[in-house]
Amino acid sequence: MRVVIAEDSVLLREGIARLLEEAGHEVVGQAGDAEDLVRKVLAHRPDIAIVDVRMPPTHTDDGLRAALELRERAPDVCVLVLSQYVEERYAHELIGGGAAGVGYLLKDRVADVERFVDAVGRVGEGGSALDPEVVAQLLGRRRRDDPLEGLTPREREVLGLMAEGRSNRAIADELVVTERAVEKHVTSIFGKLDLPPAAHDHRRVLAVLRYLGAPRP
Amino acid sequence: MSAAGLTPAKRAAITAIGFAGLLGVAWTIVAVLTSSHASPEWLILTLLLTIGSSFTATGMYAWARRPDSWFGLQLSAVGLAWFATALAAADDDLLFTIGVLVGSLYAAVIVHALLGFPTGRLRSRGERVFVVSVYLLCVVGPLLMLLVTAPDPDLPRNVLLVDANDRLADVVDAVLRGGSLAAAVGATILLVLRWRRATAPERRLLAPVLWSGAATTAGLALSLTGQLLNLPGGVLNVFDFAGLFVFASIPFAFVTGIVRANLSRGQSVGRLVARLGDAEAGRGAASLRDALAIALHDRSLAIAYWMPAGGPGGSAGPAGAGGERDGAGGRYVDAAGQPVALPEPGSGRSFTEVEREGRRVAAIVHDASLDEEPELVRAAGAAAALALENERLDAELRVQIAEVRASRKRLLEVVTRERRRIERDLHDGAQQRLVALALTLGIAEHQVASDPEQAQALIREARDEARLALEELRELARGIHPAILTDRGLGPALEALASRAPLPVELADVPAERLPPPVEGAAYFVVAEALANVAKYAAASHAEVIVQRVNGHAVVEVRDDGVGGADPEAGTGLRGLEDRLSALDGRLAVFSPSGRGTTIRAEIPCTS
Repeated sequence: MRVVIAEDSVLLREGIARLLEEAGHEVVGQAGDAEDLVRKVLAHRPDIAIVDVRMPPTHTDDGLRAALELRERAPDVCVLVLSQYVEERYAHELIGGGAAGVGYLLKDRVADVERFVDAVGRVGEGGSALDPEVVAQLLGRRRRDDPLEGLTPREREVLGLMAEGRSNRAIADELVVTERAVEKHVTSIFGKLDLPPAAHDHRRVLAVLRYLGAPRP
Repeated sequence: MSAAGLTPAKRAAITAIGFAGLLGVAWTIVAVLTSSHASPEWLILTLLLTIGSSFTATGMYAWARRPDSWFGLQLSAVGLAWFATALAAADDDLLFTIGVLVGSLYAAVIVHALLGFPTGRLRSRGERVFVVSVYLLCVVGPLLMLLVTAPDPDLPRNVLLVDANDRLADVVDAVLRGGSLAAAVGATILLVLRWRRATAPERRLLAPVLWSGAATTAGLALSLTGQLLNLPGGVLNVFDFAGLFVFASIPFAFVTGIVRANLSRGQSVGRLVARLGDAEAGRGAASLRDALAIALHDRSLAIAYWMPAGGPGGSAGPAGAGGERDGAGGRYVDAAGQPVALPEPGSGRSFTEVEREGRRVAAIVHDASLDEEPELVRAAGAAAALALENERLDAELRVQIAEVRASRKRLLEVVTRERRRIERDLHDGAQQRLVALALTLGIAEHQVASDPEQAQALIREARDEARLALEELRELARGIHPAILTDRGLGPALEALASRAPLPVELADVPAERLPPPVEGAAYFVVAEALANVAKYAAASHAEVIVQRVNGHAVVEVRDDGVGGADPEAGTGLRGLEDRLSALDGRLAVFSPSGRGTTIRAEIPCTS
């Protein structure tokens, strides 16, 4: 998989590059700021761009804006956004029209090399990866007449993992149950929440995200 | 002349007194001129008419001038009682007897009036007992005399005579003379005491009436003493005439006092204006207070400046709450800006409020006796209104500076406290974890060759420590200043806040446009603090956050449906917010009626 990495901290950028190269990916470009990122992505057309949110020139959310720009200008390039903090709102902005090929993770997650590499692979292949903390925010939000109250604790767990972008296989591994059991839970959840069944994992992410969505998407 | 408080009833009463006076004059003329026993006729007539009409008329004038004082009525009563003595000139037996019976009443009324001057109200129980005794003496005394005194062939018949008894009459006469002497001496002493206890401004007011009154009672005492000592008739006549003369002068003394006060008022105010001009031009060191104290002859005079609510310490709200006139709309402060209380009625001190262009400016706190000269105080106040307004603005500025100073100090304390908290959180949290992590990595490095498995476990442990450290740092950073607030502004930041709240929070009306960063920060922390309080204390089922732009202000409201009863003074959280807001000229209001939820409302001017 061909990768462009945008991260203003050289140390971290090199670290991620090494990590990904060891996992067999090819890092075709490294960028230190948002403009550089857009330029390199448009030039190299990688499979995936890994983008830090806070970057020069303004050190606010330049990376996120660049990622959104790339979604417009290079829809074939998948984007994995990393950040020191995650906000539900940014998840909505990123995923907006579709969760295919989009990831949004806390920067800390790079420390768990195996999972991080897995997430990069998933997003690069057109899947999604949503950070567990965002999912926890989505599920944890207090609502009046909370529809999630109708779910069993196990169903909530499955819903959370679905929202992270995991496949049934991965959810089954995580919960140490059979894939059949996961499928049953998923059917039950979609029934209880009155959601249309979705074939692809990334469509499930979008459906769940929309369902739990913020009041102002 | 002021006619304030002159009710229709009092106006009618004054008119009635006028008619009674005219009746008195007519009756006196008829009675004396037709009398067979009153002589010398012209002298008696002159005394009766001048004294009777001057008291009656002056009393009417005094009552109309100060309807709230009983002094005018009492003065008129002296005049009418004096006319009543003319009944004794009648040839009819019954009228003559009545005339003798009420012939001394005027003396009791004048003592009453003098002791009650200027309000017409007696000031102590002792004075009341004394005045009642004098009334009894002047009514019961003549009655007793009439009961036992033998008929005089030159006079009409005494219809009350029961049994003529010369010895008894002598005893009664002696007792009455003794009583009268005691009353005259007592009244003189009370008047002198009244003078000695009076404050300087009070004395100016009391002087003419009190001194002519005291001279009258002292003259009476002298005359009675002369009779006891059996002085020759010529000397006694001199005493009597001198006594009558000072008695007759009382109404004139009273009027003289008023004229003098009017004159001196004009002079005082004139000099005050000149002095204020000097002070403004930098000549003369006299302060405004001193100038007023001199003009009003009250050295104890003080000035209280009106401080409208919503002035210093908070701008007028966007709702525009100007024009409050009630007492709750502000408070009085001294020149240094410290709050002062105005004197209570009956404390011996009083105050007069000064207005300028319909707005309250200040209160002149003065001796209560100046209440008897409201025109003087008002005129002085009006003359000084502009200067008072200037000093009021100075005082307001001082209040503002004092509040800014206090708030700045509190703000510094808040910052210091926050820094200490951050330092402690770093020390106890992330720093400890990083130390542990470094240690774990050190051990792992040491063991990597000898026991690779153990080393791997240690490295995993180190990674967990690092993750926890990062989480703690993230929370800490969010508490200092959330990145989303900088990146996306108030609305998104409040959404994030609402979604993390442990209860449902509805967000309404947040302006989409960016506000100045300090305003966004203050608004954000108002909501954060308010929601934290809701979660902690309110026992609410949900909360609502509204942010609106009103008249160039950001108005932030957080409402909950909880138990209410929040005390904005308690705890440092709201106080800290207040200081944070006041640094932006904003203000915070807490409405928390018990049992009906809490609303926290912040108004922050958006000057950008």
